[in-house]
Amino acid sequence: MTLQDTAMHPLQRAGATRVAGFVVAAVATAVLVLLPLWATPFMNLQISLIAAYAVAIRGLGVLTGHAGQVSLAQSAFFGVGAYSAAYAVDHGWPAAVGLLLAVVVASLAGVLIAIPAVRLRGFAFGILTLAVPVVGVPLANRLSGLTGGAQGKTAVSLPAPEWSGLADDQWHYYVVVAIAALIFLLVHNLLTGRLSRALDLLRANETVAAAMGVPVQRYKVMAFTISAACGGAAGWLYLVPVQFISPDSLQLTLSISLLVALVVGGVRSPTGAVVGAAFYVLLPNVTDKITPGRSYLFFGIVLLIVLLFFPQGVTGGLRSLAGRLSRRRSEPPRATE
Amino acid sequence: MNVLQQVVDGITSGSIYGAVALALVLVYRSTGLINFAQGQLAAVSAYVAFSLTKFGLPVVAAIIVATVASAALGAGLERTLIRRFERADHLVTIVVTVALLICGNGLISLFWGADLKPFPAIFPSRNLSVGGLHFTASDVGTVVVLLCVIGLVDLLFQRTRFGLALRAVALNRESSAQSGLPVGRLLMAGWGIAALIGSVAGCLVAPTISLQPGMMDGVLVYALAAAILGGLDSPVGAIAAAWLIGITQNLAGAYVDFIGSDLQIVVPLLLMVLVLLVRPQGLFGRKEVQRV
Repeated sequence: MTLQDTAMHPLQRAGATRVAGFVVAAVATAVLVLLPLWATPFMNLQISLIAAYAVAIRGLGVLTGHAGQVSLAQSAFFGVGAYSAAYAVDHGWPAAVGLLLAVVVASLAGVLIAIPAVRLRGFAFGILTLAVPVVGVPLANRLSGLTGGAQGKTAVSLPAPEWSGLADDQWHYYVVVAIAALIFLLVHNLLTGRLSRALDLLRANETVAAAMGVPVQRYKVMAFTISAACGGAAGWLYLVPVQFISPDSLQLTLSISLLVALVVGGVRSPTGAVVGAAFYVLLPNVTDKITPGRSYLFFGIVLLIVLLFFPQGVTGGLRSLAGRLSRRRSEPPRATE
Repeated sequence: MNVLQQVVDGITSGSIYGAVALALVLVYRSTGLINFAQGQLAAVSAYVAFSLTKFGLPVVAAIIVATVASAALGAGLERTLIRRFERADHLVTIVVTVALLICGNGLISLFWGADLKPFPAIFPSRNLSVGGLHFTASDVGTVVVLLCVIGLVDLLFQRTRFGLALRAVALNRESSAQSGLPVGRLLMAGWGIAALIGSVAGCLVAPTISLQPGMMDGVLVYALAAAILGGLDSPVGAIAAAWLIGITQNLAGAYVDFIGSDLQIVVPLLLMVLVLLVRPQGLFGRKEVQRV
């Protein structure tokens, strides 16, 4: 095979990739829109859950992937969001107010924790964030006036409107997936330009970033807050289809699972967040068929495999594989790498 | 119930946290990472000891065998898994040990089931009373055994050539390699010793808290707080901080109404945050100077 007959001009190739990306996005949107019309209520619930967790994971990705700070606090913000949402439902407030409340309260909690936390580096930061859910769960149990204590809290909201002719699960699906997509877009826009460049530099070398005039602490607080806000929104998104929240579903294991899902999907990739969320939500369905109650073990094994063989996560691994294949087809092998 | 009694009880739980914190510090000093699976390794070894007693081994012998096995497991993990991530940044190493934690938890549920299992008593169930203070034999035994282990580890590190080599590797890996020390094997040994200490702590606490896949999760959180509070590179600091945590936790639980028994865990964590804000290097840690 000679170079001339297959190689494309770089601009041509970029254009082709963009067209391909557009086609994939259009097909995915069409599938997502049509899917709930024939899917079972259980499938709709599962996909809604994937969307909710994907938002939480994407938020964690901003902090861990972009700012380079490992956090185990995400389950706490998820919980704050879910309880705020339940509070709004209890008081009969409109759903939009509930979402706003969830995001605002979680962001405030995030700022409060971030301000002391960003003074610490590396492991100390990680362990401080670990303390948040460890303290949060007994606190949620204790503040039973707000949270319903260990029994949890039921919050039924957003029934399907008459005109739509949809069942509740279908309506919830559309609401959750649409808002999750909107949040992904928002985060994407936040991460272009100055903030993204500052975080990249900060992750690579904090001292250099500071020397270049990047206000390191402020950007870290910002990343932490974005992450917490996403966590809060995810809590609201979770409550809409599930309609129930209790401290049991907010244990430290949720934070750990979200971190696992993030790494499995790929820490800086939006697609990776969705893949990770799908992995987290769907894996128990698969493993329970093989051996019930063993999903945690599979979780750990998959995580180790990803760490050992796909350090960029599943999406990164696929991308580099695709890159290698297309390079092989279009370019002669380079002598020096 | 007086204050001194609370202090005494605090020292017992503080010793358990201290042992696990010491294991964390040893791993941190030698391989530069925090082993989030340290508690899970200890839990595995407590389960192994439990199974050995089922085969008729006396409980003390079972614990010794399980502890030695745990040291081998720790060394093996360092050699086969951790070494691949030696040069990775802390994000990756944290996730690797979290993966180990998850696998350990899953394996325990797989082999032993997730239900609560009673662990046989190690010490006779006798109570001592000295000047109005009550000690159970198990409290005294736990503290004494852990103090012995800590003392032996200290002797090993300070008085033997092997310990000197371990310290050298912890201090400067490249120089040690250039002076002909077998760095790889010493790192394995460091992990082995850490697993051994953790295992003793796990077996000693097992009769009180019973076996459960996540039995050491709470202890791990306290131990992490102690290790950070004491300064990650200071074994003495870790143990002192662990006692401080055990004592304040007990006192706060007994005397502050709002805290009670369920919010006890808040106290050491708040303490940790407050100390870190004033002294980011911990109470006994060395200040880190960064070169650019």
